Amino acid sequence: MTVPSPSGPAPAVTPAVRCRSLGVSFGAVRALHHVSLDLAPGRIHALVGQNGAGKTTLAKVLAGLQAPDSGEVHIAGCKLPSGDVRAARGAGLAMVHQHFSLPPSFTVVEALELTAFRPGGRSVFRRAELRRRWQSAAAEMGGEAVLSTRIRDLPVETRQSLEIVRALATDARVVILDEPTALLTPAAIDTLFERLRRLRDDGVTVLVVLHKLREVAAVADTVSVLRDGELVLGPSEMSELSQGRLSDAIVGPASGADRTVGVEATVDGERQTLLELVGVSSRESAFEPGLRSIDLSVETREIVGIAGVEGNGQRSLVSVIAGLNAVAAGSVLLGGTEMTRAPPARRRLRGLRLVPFDRNSEGISRRAPVWLNQSALRLIGRPGRRLPLISLNQYKRQATEALDHWQVRYDSVSQPAESLSGGNVQRLILSREMAPGLEVLVAAQPTRGLDFSATNFVRRSLQRLRDSGAGVLLVSSDLDELFELSDRLLVMYGGTIVARFEAPYDRRAVGDAMTGALR
Amino acid sequence: MTGGLQRLGSTIVLVGVSFLLTALVLWISGYGVGDVFSGTVQGAITATGAATSTVRWAIPLLLIGLGVVIGFRAGFFNIGGQGQFYMGACAALVVSLGWRGGPATLVILGATAAAVLAGSAWSLLPGYLRVRFATDEVLTTLMMNFIGALVLQYLTAGPMRNPSGTGQTAASERIPEAFRITDSSGVSATVLLLVGAVIVLVWLLLDRTRFGLTMTLVGRNPTMARWQGIDVSRVGLVTFGLSGALAGLAGAVELHGPGARLVTGFSPEVGFTAVVVALVGLLSVWGTVVAAIFFGGLQSAILFLPIVTDLPPPALVLLHGMVAFLVTVKFRSARRRRAPLAPEALAD
Repeated sequence: MTVPSPSGPAPAVTPAVRCRSLGVSFGAVRALHHVSLDLAPGRIHALVGQNGAGKTTLAKVLAGLQAPDSGEVHIAGCKLPSGDVRAARGAGLAMVHQHFSLPPSFTVVEALELTAFRPGGRSVFRRAELRRRWQSAAAEMGGEAVLSTRIRDLPVETRQSLEIVRALATDARVVILDEPTALLTPAAIDTLFERLRRLRDDGVTVLVVLHKLREVAAVADTVSVLRDGELVLGPSEMSELSQGRLSDAIVGPASGADRTVGVEATVDGERQTLLELVGVSSRESAFEPGLRSIDLSVETREIVGIAGVEGNGQRSLVSVIAGLNAVAAGSVLLGGTEMTRAPPARRRLRGLRLVPFDRNSEGISRRAPVWLNQSALRLIGRPGRRLPLISLNQYKRQATEALDHWQVRYDSVSQPAESLSGGNVQRLILSREMAPGLEVLVAAQPTRGLDFSATNFVRRSLQRLRDSGAGVLLVSSDLDELFELSDRLLVMYGGTIVARFEAPYDRRAVGDAMTGALR
Repeated sequence: MTGGLQRLGSTIVLVGVSFLLTALVLWISGYGVGDVFSGTVQGAITATGAATSTVRWAIPLLLIGLGVVIGFRAGFFNIGGQGQFYMGACAALVVSLGWRGGPATLVILGATAAAVLAGSAWSLLPGYLRVRFATDEVLTTLMMNFIGALVLQYLTAGPMRNPSGTGQTAASERIPEAFRITDSSGVSATVLLLVGAVIVLVWLLLDRTRFGLTMTLVGRNPTMARWQGIDVSRVGLVTFGLSGALAGLAGAVELHGPGARLVTGFSPEVGFTAVVVALVGLLSVWGTVVAAIFFGGLQSAILFLPIVTDLPPPALVLLHGMVAFLVTVKFRSARRRRAPLAPEALAD
């Protein structure tokens, strides 16, 4: 600590954000432990770490959304009352959430007005006045943003820009972005980074939570690493840091977690078509275009990738295959059997397995015990025995075996599944979906939001599955993942397949197809 | 299981607080609190016939309450127990009076079957609206209660009315004595066996069958259940049907047991108290058994108290209401109302 003297150099710049020994615990889980961090003003700071390292918790504490158990937060030298989101906003701090937080049924201008923090604002407003007020802000969003468009009709990138515009509308001096790149295409990520740099040049301090080292290298001035709730590195100048040092800090001392798991598929012998869609169309939903005459097939021993900007019908496609959405025209076949109108259970029994888009709401039941989540597929189809009574112990035992085989970490199988971390939830889902009986797996965004080692684990598992003879349809918005795993790659745009590629893939050609430039 | 113990502890505390608050109100009103509570214990347990009376009142609460537990397991809030109970009783009455000359066993079985069907039909209508149109079942089952009460009123004041009745409220004719399964005490070996069998069957269904597990999954997360290939609508309909069937069964037991005839607006609170019973019983089968006996005892005491104290009967209903109020507050704060089960609300 230096004591500034009248004749000495000026005291060091006040950090834009300073936190001192923050601690947060959720029950027995220690989310943050003695985290102290100073962020210099006017720079882009990256915060990285594995799933469950405490990144989002730290962001929430800084934004006043989560009261810390101990420690304090200062913004530009002023101490914030703990867990007071209004005070944090008043101090010039704004947060862009991982999941979009604007109400989908609002128009752009309504959403902006709703969340604007103006002390003493009037509660009655006139629409014309609102439009005038927000016109310039909306122009910043770029694109063809129209103030009267409803949020739900905006494309993903525009929605995110809007979140950022909203954050800045309050003259924020500090902006926190929680995993802003997770939902974006490569091109949109570049635009986002460009925008962050402009913010920095305007003197705004940016703290951005990121997952991929490539993105950190592309945008950050400094980087800080959280591991198991502790700050293990940083903030360090990006220029003074090697990639290797950074990944070591993130992953920690060498762990053997990269082992893959053997999977036996029931398919053997010659090549056959496991999943086939012939001219499938479906009606549009509230969130996505309908499908327009989709033809695709998945054969034994192959991974077929589906690329595309999100919201171009991928969800409809998976739902139609699962039997959750009705088919308007065309047919769906599983293992050569017509299944167009078959209920989901019959498709499951025919060997269809699914890794849904959103693992926490579609893949597991967070409040049901771990063992029941693992056993869910045993509940459909004919019972194996005549007596309707079952042994819960036997269910639990089998679930435990499968979970251990897949190296899921849990305290007790009887705990609710919400006690699992993101990577372990995905392992649980894989342990259920990849059990024997599988013929074709439809995996939707199987690695989204997972940390490095969990991502690797899932990718190796998919490859092993393919090598054992099964077919995989992989829907992903991660092009690197698709290029690495896919034997063939299809691109969806506007509810239909606009291009088909074979390895080796041309990144630019795929990118063009994804943005509709091919049409 | 610390979570379970905690919930049990907080429920016991809550019942205790209700007692204290009620005592406070009685004390302020100038009643002898000690007398009232000793009277309550007498009326529920120690007085002659009190224990039998407790069991008699516990039976409908238990049967309807188990129906509520079944509904909750799959995520549905069936508060239409009152109407389903009335419809069951009405169906049993129609069969019993319509087939007066039949062999007793057959008539009783037929009337019980009719009651079960009527109860489940009364529940299936809101159930269908729920799974088909995502209509909030809390509203529809509640409203169906009023229709059920009016059907009962129509029967007792109209076609089934006892013309020689002199009372102020309309009542039906009595069913033949041979068709009854208890005397007016409402407790007999037959009834106890029946109720015992129902308890065990419901417990097995919920905790020892694949369907029970399926209901649990649907109740916790219907979206996930759908992705797993579970037919959520079917599970919902079966659940509603079973839930109403138990309330209907309670109606038949009431008629063929202590009632012997139906009176307009009889046991007007039993369906609602049963919801509280299920909640106090922590939505578990065995907890509901205990809670039903507790509330049965209260009901018995309410009828007994005027004999030993100058207390007006509504004073103990206060305790009832206090428990119901606190349980509801606790339940509602612990568990926000889930979003309606819309057909495909899969937002990104």
